[in-house]
Amino acid sequence: MTTTASELAPARVRLTLSWDRLLQWGVFLLTGLLVLFPVWPILYQSVLDRPLYDPDRSFTLANFSRVLSDPVFWQVTGRTMLFSGLTTLLALAVGTLMAVLIVRTDMPGRGLFSSLIAIPYFVSPLVLAFGWTVVFGPQGVLTVLARSRLGLDWNLYSMGGMIVVAALYYMPFTFLACVASLRLADPQIEHAARIAGCGPVRTLVSITLPLLRPAIIYSALLIFVSSIELLSIPLVLGTPARISLLATYVYQLGVAGITIDYGALAVVAIVLVLLITGLVLLQGRLVGLERRFVTVGAKAVRPQRLRLGVLRWPLAALVGMITILGIIAPLLGIFVQASTALLSPFINPLSVLTLKNFAIVFEQPAYRESIVNSLLVATLGGAVGIFFMALVALTTYRSDFRWRDGLRFLALYPRAFPALIMGIGFLWTYLLIPGIGGVRNTLIAITIAFIVTSLPMGFGTVSPSVLQISPELDRAARVAGSSWFGTLRHILLPMLRPALLSGYVLLFITFLKEYSVALFLFAPGSRVIGTTMIELWRQGNPGPVSALAAVQIVVIAVVVVISRRFFGVKLHE
Amino acid sequence: MSNLVIQHLTRAFGAARAVDDLSLTVPSGKFISLLGPSGCGKSTTLNCIAGLEHPDCGRIQVGDFVMVDTARNLVLAPEHRGLGMVFQTYALWPHMTVHDNLAFVLKLRKVTGAEAERRISAILELVGLGEFAKRYPFQLSGGQQQRVALARAVVTEPRLLLLDEPLSNLDAKVRQQARTWIRAMQQRVGITTIYVTHDQAEALAMSDMIAVMANGRLHQYATPAEIYEYPATRFVAEFIGATSFLEGRLVERQGEWVRVWVPEIGELKLRADRQPGGKVREWAHDRPVTVAIRSERVQVVRGDGPCDNTFEAPVTGSAYEGARWIHHVKTPAGTLHLETLDAAPAGKLRLYLPPEALFLAPEC
Ligand SMILES: Nc1ncnc2c1ncn2[C@@H]1O[C@H](COP(=O)(O)OP(=O)(O)OP(=O)(O)O)[C@@H](O)[C@H]1O
Ligand SMILES: [Mg+2]
Repeated sequence: MTTTASELAPARVRLTLSWDRLLQWGVFLLTGLLVLFPVWPILYQSVLDRPLYDPDRSFTLANFSRVLSDPVFWQVTGRTMLFSGLTTLLALAVGTLMAVLIVRTDMPGRGLFSSLIAIPYFVSPLVLAFGWTVVFGPQGVLTVLARSRLGLDWNLYSMGGMIVVAALYYMPFTFLACVASLRLADPQIEHAARIAGCGPVRTLVSITLPLLRPAIIYSALLIFVSSIELLSIPLVLGTPARISLLATYVYQLGVAGITIDYGALAVVAIVLVLLITGLVLLQGRLVGLERRFVTVGAKAVRPQRLRLGVLRWPLAALVGMITILGIIAPLLGIFVQASTALLSPFINPLSVLTLKNFAIVFEQPAYRESIVNSLLVATLGGAVGIFFMALVALTTYRSDFRWRDGLRFLALYPRAFPALIMGIGFLWTYLLIPGIGGVRNTLIAITIAFIVTSLPMGFGTVSPSVLQISPELDRAARVAGSSWFGTLRHILLPMLRPALLSGYVLLFITFLKEYSVALFLFAPGSRVIGTTMIELWRQGNPGPVSALAAVQIVVIAVVVVISRRFFGVKLHE
Repeated sequence: MSNLVIQHLTRAFGAARAVDDLSLTVPSGKFISLLGPSGCGKSTTLNCIAGLEHPDCGRIQVGDFVMVDTARNLVLAPEHRGLGMVFQTYALWPHMTVHDNLAFVLKLRKVTGAEAERRISAILELVGLGEFAKRYPFQLSGGQQQRVALARAVVTEPRLLLLDEPLSNLDAKVRQQARTWIRAMQQRVGITTIYVTHDQAEALAMSDMIAVMANGRLHQYATPAEIYEYPATRFVAEFIGATSFLEGRLVERQGEWVRVWVPEIGELKLRADRQPGGKVREWAHDRPVTVAIRSERVQVVRGDGPCDNTFEAPVTGSAYEGARWIHHVKTPAGTLHLETLDAAPAGKLRLYLPPEALFLAPEC
C-alpha cells in the first residue's frame, strides 16, 4: 500500500529538517554567545566595589556616583564631543569637495587623485598619526624646515592637530560614499534641470549636491561614531600635550595607569556604549528616511563635466597639496625614518641610510613574533571570520529560521561597542570563566575578539551580494530535492565566491591594522603589530615603530594590488 | 490514479488572505492553468503546492502522497515532495553548465552515472538543445534558457510540474512558439501540470482546465470553452474576453426565450438556457438584469436583415488594431464594444445582437 509512504514521510522530514535547523541554531547560538560575551562582565563589574575576580567583592552603586560626579569625566566627554563634531565637519567638507571635483568637473589629475585620496582607507590610523609626527611633529622634518626657513610654527600636539589628522583619516569614507552616489545617480535628473534652464553651477548646487545628502548623512554619523571611540590619534597626538579624550581616558584607566580602577572603567565603558548605541540607532533612522533620495538610473548617458575655467589649476593645486602634505608625505616620512639613523631636513637621508630599525623588528623575538602573529591572525582568522560571517548572512537572509531577525540584530550589535571596550569585556570574560582561562593569553583569544569586532562590517559586506542572488535560484534547488544546507553548499556559496574573496581581503586588511581590541587582551606570545607599535612608542623608539609601520603598509599594499589585479576584487562601493 | 487534490487551502499575510479556502482537483496527466489578475494569489497557491510557502490551513495530496495536512500538522519540506518547477526568471544556476544544472537535480534524486547521462541527453534532445550541454546559462538566449529550465524540471520525472509565468520574459513571437511547444512536451511526457499565468490567451490555448482566481478565491474551474461561454461569476465574465454589459429590466419569460427591456435599444430576446443556475424562472417581472455579449459576436447589419434584436446607434470611438477595428457605441444602458474587419461607415450603425450570443450576466 502506498499509504505507508505518506505515513513515513513526516518522520523522515523531521529528521532531515533537524540537520538544517541544527546548523541554523548553531549559528544563532554561537553569534549570540560571542556577541554577548564581552557585555555581561562589564555590566557586572559596574556594580562591584572591587575587581570582579576578587573573592571579597560586593555589590555597590558607588562606581556610578563616583564617575558621574567627577568633573574631569564630564570635561573629557565634552572635549570628545567637540573633537568628534569638528572632525566630522572637516572630513565631510573635504571629502564632498573632492568627490564633486573629481567626478563632476574637468579638474586636471582627477584619475590620479581619486586613487591617492582613498589611501587612508587602507592604512591604520595609528600609522597615519605616527607619520604625521614624523613630518609635522614638534621635531618633524617639515616643522623644523618651516621654522628655520619661513619663521612659521605650529603645534601638532593640540586639539587642532588631532582634528586635522583625524579628518584626513576619515575623509575617504565621505569621498567614497559620495563618489558611489554620484556615479549611481540618474544623469537624466541633471539633464532635466539643464533643459529647464538651470545653469551648470546652479545645477551642481541645487540638484547634484542635494542628491548627495544620503551619502553625506550616512558618512557623517559613521565618522562621528568612529571618532568617539578612536584611540590612536588622541593617544599619539594628545598624550604629549595632556589632552585626554574618552578613548585615551579609558586607556589610562585600564592599561596605562598605575592602579586600575575596575569599577570606574566599567562605568565609563557603559556610558560610551550607551552613547554610541543611541547614535547608531539615529543613523539607522536617518538613513531609512533618506532612502527616497536614491535614484538609480540608466548609466549609458554621462552628464557633461562642469567646466572650471580659470579655476582648473588652482583647484588642482589645492587638492594636490592636501593629498601630498596630508597623506603622501606622512607615509613617505615613515619609510624614510625607518631606513635612516637620523631624520632631519639638514642631513641628506642617503648619507645616514641604515637597516638597523628593520633588523631590530625582525630579529628581536618579541617584535618578530608580533609580525608573524599579525600575519597569522589576518590569514587564518580572516578566512574563519568570513566563512562565519557568510553563514550568519545566509541564515539571516536565506532561511526560514524563526529567529533570523534576532540573528541580524546580534550580527550588527557590535557596532555599538567600541573596540577598546570589547577588548576589556573579552579580557574579563576570560578572567571569570574558569574553563576557558587557558585561551586568554593565546592568539585564539585575539582572533575571536577581532572577528566579533568586525562582524558588522563583514556581515554588511556579504549581505548585499546575498540579497542580489535571486531567491528563485535557491527555491529551484529546494524543489529539485536539495536540503537547505545542500543549497548553501552547491548554489549559494559557489555563487558568493567573488563576494567572499572581497570580504576576505577586507578582513585581512582590517585584522592586520587592528590594535585597539588587542590592547587589553595581548600578552607575551600574543602580541600583534599594532600593540607592539604602541609599546615601542611608549618607550620612545621612533625608528622601530616606523619600521613596523612600514612593514604593515607594504603588506597591505601588496595584498590590495594583487587582489585587485589578479582576482578583480572590489574593496569599496 | 494520482490526482492532485487541494482542499480548503488558505494562506494569509497578516489580515489579507492571499489564498482563501481554495479547493481543486487536477486529474492525473492534465494541464491546468491558474488564471487571474496580478496579486490574486496564483503564485502563493503554486508555492503552497511546491512547499515554498506554508499554508495556514488546508490539505494537498497527489494520489496517496500527502504533502500538506495542517490538521495533522504535516507540511513537507519542498525537497521531499518530488516535484519539478519552472520559475519566472528560469532560475538556472549560473555557475553550472546546462549539463551540470541537469546533473545536479538528478544527483539530488540519486540518479547518477550512465543513467543520468542517458536521461540528460534524451531530455536535451527533446527540447532541441542537444549541442548546448556545455554552455553556461548566460550564453543562451531567453527562449533557450526557458527550455533548459523546463528540461531541468521534468528530467527527474516528478510527480507534478509547476510553472510560474514561465513565458512572461519572452518576446511575443517566441512566446507563441513556446506555448505550443510546452503543451506538446507536456502531452508527450504525460505529466500533471499546474501553469500560472495572467494571460488569458495563454490559458485558453494551452489548458485542459482553467481555474480563474480573484482576491484569493476560486471563481470558476472548468474547461476553456465552458469558461468562455458560460462564465460562472460576474468577475469571470468581465475578466475573460472583451465583454459588453447592458443594464435592463426583465419583461417576461416565454418557453425557451426571455425578453429584456433595454432603454434606447428596445426589447432584446435571449435564450433562457444560457442563464446561470436557471434561476430566471423564479425572477419577478420588471426585475433589473444585466445582459452581456462578447464583442466579436455583435454583428453590423448592412441592407436587409433580421429585425428582432436590432437597433441603430452612432459610433462614439474607433481604434485600429491591425487585424480588425474595435468600435465603441455608447448607449444609456452601457457601452457596447464590437469588432469589424474594416473601418465603420460614418454616422449610425445598425447592430444585431444574436439571441444565442446574449446571456444574462451573473449577479456576483
Ligand atoms: N511574503 C508576503 N508578505 C505579504 N504579502 C504577500 C507576500 N507574498 C504575497 N503577498 C500578497 O499576497 C497576494 C497574492 O500574491 P501572489 O504573489 O500570489 O499574486 P499573483 O497572483 O502571483 O500575482 P502576479 O500575477 O503579480 O504574480 C498579493 O496581494 C501580495 O501582495
Ligand atoms: Mg506571481
